[in-house]
Amino acid sequence: MTSAFTRSLMKLMDEHDDIITITADMGYSVFENIQTKFPKRFFNTGVTEQASASFAAGMALSGYKVFFYAQAAFATMRCFEQVRLDVAYNHTNVKIIGTNAGFSLNQLGASHFSVEDIGLMRLLPQFTIFTPGDPKEMEWAMKEAYKIDGPVYIRFTKLGSKTFHPRSFTNKIGNIIILAKGIDATLFISGGLLEMGMEVRGELKKKGIDLSVVSVPTIKPINSEMVLKEIRRTKTVFTLEEHSVIGGLGTTIAEIIAEANLNIHFTKIGFPDKYTSVTGSIAFLLDYNGISVDKIVKVILKKIKYS
Amino acid sequence: MKIKDDYGLLIKEAKEIRKQIFSIIVSANASHIASSYSIVEILVYLYERVLKIDPKKPTDFNRDRFILSKGWGISALYSILYKKGFIDKKLLDTYCQDGSKMIGIATRNGVPGIEATTGSMGHGLPIAVGMAKALKLKNSNAKVYVIISDGEMDEGSTWEGILLAAHHKLDNLTVIVDYNKWQSFGRTNEVLNLEPLTDKWKAFNWNVCEVDGHSFPQIHKAFESLKMVKKQPKVIIAHTVKGKGLSIIEDKNDYHYKTPRGSELKIAHKEGLI
Repeated sequence: MTSAFTRSLMKLMDEHDDIITITADMGYSVFENIQTKFPKRFFNTGVTEQASASFAAGMALSGYKVFFYAQAAFATMRCFEQVRLDVAYNHTNVKIIGTNAGFSLNQLGASHFSVEDIGLMRLLPQFTIFTPGDPKEMEWAMKEAYKIDGPVYIRFTKLGSKTFHPRSFTNKIGNIIILAKGIDATLFISGGLLEMGMEVRGELKKKGIDLSVVSVPTIKPINSEMVLKEIRRTKTVFTLEEHSVIGGLGTTIAEIIAEANLNIHFTKIGFPDKYTSVTGSIAFLLDYNGISVDKIVKVILKKIKYS
Repeated sequence: MKIKDDYGLLIKEAKEIRKQIFSIIVSANASHIASSYSIVEILVYLYERVLKIDPKKPTDFNRDRFILSKGWGISALYSILYKKGFIDKKLLDTYCQDGSKMIGIATRNGVPGIEATTGSMGHGLPIAVGMAKALKLKNSNAKVYVIISDGEMDEGSTWEGILLAAHHKLDNLTVIVDYNKWQSFGRTNEVLNLEPLTDKWKAFNWNVCEVDGHSFPQIHKAFESLKMVKKQPKVIIAHTVKGKGLSIIEDKNDYHYKTPRGSELKIAHKEGLI
């Protein structure tokens, strides 16, 4: 995923000389080539997330499109007020790249986990939020981020490196993408859990259940009509994300369902509303928070059995 | 003698601006009159002698940028923007009225001449650093000026911006610290001591001048001497008096919050502010 990001940024900076990239001292093995190739348009602003967000806004107000890169936790929550007031309120062309979201920095604990960032960012008017689920969605999100006149948040984790879309993949902002069309239930996924979602589909198929797997690469804005069309089709709906069950994809879909007065079955699968105070592999931490193929299959089976 | 005459005109304008501030603050029953009075001479000097901004083209790319980081001094900025023709009297008189864009803290909402939304402290300087860097990259000769408060120097983001500006050698950036020695709830040296303030800026590789922020000759001298400075950002530490210009509010923190009223209006009248 990171290499898709770097590749896309390199290409965009090659094509457009109004792009500035700044990083708050992050980017080891990510930015070396960009730094060498564009010494006048790449800045390491040091460990100054607050000033960096304001600096990015200042540059954007003076005619640049600024990609601001840092760990998701620090690019959003550390400098949330600067993002809110300087980046969002001023409707600037600042594109925040939140890398290593979720439990990506699995060994590093609470300071580096980022499981609340989408919830916070969704609150900000004017922001477009991308949660690319594979390298093709990342390339598309980067291209769109450049084209959009306004602030953008691209959020990704260490997962999602397997490609699901064709080479020529493109999409419309807000549209969802049905990866596998089923008839019994729908699993909406944002971010890097598409592979797990497809495995869940495979397991359920063995039990005679045909699950739809849908990728949601833009959390905001979202094409509610498309979402509702899918929901009305299967009437049993699950969401899956590397984020708290509060504020992210699950909440977004729940809001759509609530406002449409639908009588359907709905379950959010994400991180429960509590802190994770242990370390371990990413797979372990996901499983610890209820996210593994087996656990998701169980949740879905239980729901379908009683529905 | 010409220079003396110039200062006379500036002094006269400062008086007019204080009258204007008084009028809109009292009409709106608004706060922060003392914060505005503390920066009147600096603003008058900036708008009369320094800033190259055409009021008819306030978004022209090559304009100088001015950011009032201490956005709560906005009644002073609105008053001078009116005086210089950026906004009209009709708009000025809606200050803090229902539905008006003339908000009580600097807000970038389309009012000509307002470059940034500030008032949440420690934002103006880092934004200005980004603007100054962008102008250099675009080979523009435009300059960026920021007034920050002493209270804002408590904020970590201000110091992050100070580091960034010096690292990038932004000699197109000038900061003026309105050092009136009051912050929201007390004296700066009692709440969070900033001293030795000049040494701190120097140690961060800025070119520093100290002035009496109400003395036009001193302000003039500082801006003239800083013109020569290359490859360093510049800061003027302006020693000021909060509430300067109206005896009963001078050096009193109460008028960060209170609006003059009742018998205070008579004194203001006697002192030529009404």
